[in-house]
Amino acid sequence: MSLVQPEMRPHYPDYATAPTQHHFSPYADNGGSVVAIAGDDFVVIGADTRLSAGFSIYTRDQNKLFRLSDTTVLGCSGCWCDTLTLTRILTARMQMYQQEHNKVMTTPACAQMLSTMLYYKRFFPYYISNILVGLDNEGKGCVYSYDPIGHCEKATYRAGGSAGALLQPLLDNQIGLKNMQNVGDSKLSLERALAVLKDVFISAAERDIFTGDSILINVITKDGIQDYSFQLRKD
Amino acid sequence: MSVLCPETPAPGFSFANCKRNALLESKGFPVPKATKTGTTIVGIIFKDGVILGADTRATEDTTVSDKNCEKIHYLAPNMYCCGAGTAADTEQTTQMISSQLELHRLFTNRVARVATANQMLKQYLFRYQGHIGAALVLGGVDSTGPHLYSIYPHGSTDKLPYTTMGSGSLAAMAVFESRWNPDLEEEEGVKLVRDAIAAGIFNDLGSGSNVDICIIRKGSVDYRRTFDEANKKGVRQSSYRYPKGTTAVLSSKTIDVEVVDVTVHPIEPEHMDTA
Amino acid sequence: MLFSEKTRTLDSILNADPVDSLFSDLLPTANNNLARHNFEVAPVKEATSFVKKWNNSCHENLKIKFNHGTTTLGFIYQGGVIVAVDSRATAGSYIASQTVKKVIEINPYLLGTMAGGAADCSFWERQLALQCRLHELRNKDRISVAAASKVLANMVYSYKGMGLSMGTMLAGWDKRGPGLYYVDNDGTRLKGKLFSVGSGSTYAYGVLDAEYDNELHDEAARELGRRAIYHAAHRDAMSGGFVSVYHVKEDGWEFVSRTDVAELHSIYKTDQFLPVS
Repeated sequence: MSLVQPEMRPHYPDYATAPTQHHFSPYADNGGSVVAIAGDDFVVIGADTRLSAGFSIYTRDQNKLFRLSDTTVLGCSGCWCDTLTLTRILTARMQMYQQEHNKVMTTPACAQMLSTMLYYKRFFPYYISNILVGLDNEGKGCVYSYDPIGHCEKATYRAGGSAGALLQPLLDNQIGLKNMQNVGDSKLSLERALAVLKDVFISAAERDIFTGDSILINVITKDGIQDYSFQLRKD
Repeated sequence: MSVLCPETPAPGFSFANCKRNALLESKGFPVPKATKTGTTIVGIIFKDGVILGADTRATEDTTVSDKNCEKIHYLAPNMYCCGAGTAADTEQTTQMISSQLELHRLFTNRVARVATANQMLKQYLFRYQGHIGAALVLGGVDSTGPHLYSIYPHGSTDKLPYTTMGSGSLAAMAVFESRWNPDLEEEEGVKLVRDAIAAGIFNDLGSGSNVDICIIRKGSVDYRRTFDEANKKGVRQSSYRYPKGTTAVLSSKTIDVEVVDVTVHPIEPEHMDTA
Repeated sequence: MLFSEKTRTLDSILNADPVDSLFSDLLPTANNNLARHNFEVAPVKEATSFVKKWNNSCHENLKIKFNHGTTTLGFIYQGGVIVAVDSRATAGSYIASQTVKKVIEINPYLLGTMAGGAADCSFWERQLALQCRLHELRNKDRISVAAASKVLANMVYSYKGMGLSMGTMLAGWDKRGPGLYYVDNDGTRLKGKLFSVGSGSTYAYGVLDAEYDNELHDEAARELGRRAIYHAAHRDAMSGGFVSVYHVKEDGWEFVSRTDVAELHSIYKTDQFLPVS
């Protein structure tokens, strides 16, 4: 028997002796805005091309629209490194689906998959504002918007990203025709959607410091995806 | 105490709400943010004087609150001062020093010196230990020649031949470091200052819109507001006018006015007194 | 690993541990008890509280704001169950959406409601739908509301303390008749005749408790649900948008109506004291 009394100290589990991590900061806000508007047989999505950090610009020419298939496009803004990872995994999952089922994933299926992929990071979220657009099974334009952990909602128009809160009310008024009388319900034409899309970005570039330089626009119709670009102010 | 004899407010800042605001902040109420001029301001000495330059963007956090604000402030007939930092602080500080300089000029009957303004500003800012968030570029010409100072919020100052301040200072300084020399002509100097401010406007998100320039020579000042419009605003694609009847009428009320009597007073047209 | 799933038969899926098969197994394995659902977590010691830190206001510039939902109610009366909800989602002080579907149609006999974290509710009630379908296939019989609510409560209970946020009601019809259960993120599971959940629930209870009667006829019961949500949407800033009403009967649920709160306001303001029954 030992003469020395066993040390009287509280029991600490093993991990308490490991080095303590005091700071872990895996997120960055790289700014940028995305706007999508759907019509009866088309959908347009636009994203600005400025990638920034704090008060400085990384690049004035960054495409934030990702073509997932011939009828599906994803627009991302927020933490760019998360965007890269998410879109890479998403593309891989699309390809696996295609090889397994011998058909291309539809936009609604893709929208649901993105939701679960985001939710699976519920406890370590992707810091991204996602807007997914495409044509549904009937060829109708549709827009899906997400919160960072995968709450998904189908809409006809949506703005997200650093100027999202600035742009959404404009769209509510011009596309949603909210709180107005005698505005009729004429069908939204592609020309009108494109004009509004460009105009809201002009306004966003005036007041949001993270939005500017130019926008890239994808127009999705049954004939495929068309690209357009449009210059914004650069300050 | 009474209406006839109101109590004179104590001079200086009021700290009456500090304790309350600290308590509110600790309970999670965010402090309202002051307008900051995330800015590019610059100054150079050229052959015959001083040129000051500034952008015109004022921001509140990440939104632009003023697209064409004035950041080159008047101090004295021979002195101007660019301000960066908290907009209210730079404005109030320069206004107050401006009034003191005018009194100084009247008292001494001489053109105030730039060194005097510098000393007054640094002593004032040092007294408040950086709580007055004013970062200044002071420039002017007096009997001893052209002078340029940069003054930091805590009260330290530098006397320099060319200087930049604000969030765009690095971009602007890069231009100066490559192109400034002591014998610049006025035209070259103005071009250099414009390019330095433009570097800030385009490469720093806190700076933007237009270039303001102020040229101070011996005996004359040339303040060129909106010297250059660095960015043209985008042209809208469609019209956003609302047709009549778009706003809903929720309720209406008609008040019948009974006309009791009508009198007409003819008024003769009069010619304006131009004497 | 995914390719082997091609050979998986329905039988093997039915016999599998229901929890293990929830997620695709090609996803990386997490470092603690989250592993069994394959949730990825931050590579830090307090992984489960990581996301809470980023929801906190101390990180002013990089705050992660989730969509939150708000006023929901459900009650049992002689004609079945009425479920009524608003449609607003807020992220901080921003109205993220005015058109959220807060009634989740689990199957033709079961409805779930959404209050709290929108993503949490929609994800776990989708998982519940999967479990309910598997139950049907295993037992050749529909799942009872009691059992379904217990499945949901058990699932979220295993994540207790990790920051899930949901306050949900399950309404349905089974062999016992109409059923209504309240389940929340703590794992609480309550059986009852009348519930309201969310930040506007106090306003809804005010209307509900004043007018509720088991013997209400169908139209009056639906109107009561609609009106209770309307009053909550009117007074509570976090609620608004549209009022949706569902009615669960013996032959399954039926969608009744979806009305703009502004429209209801113009209707109700003229007949302030219209009796609902």
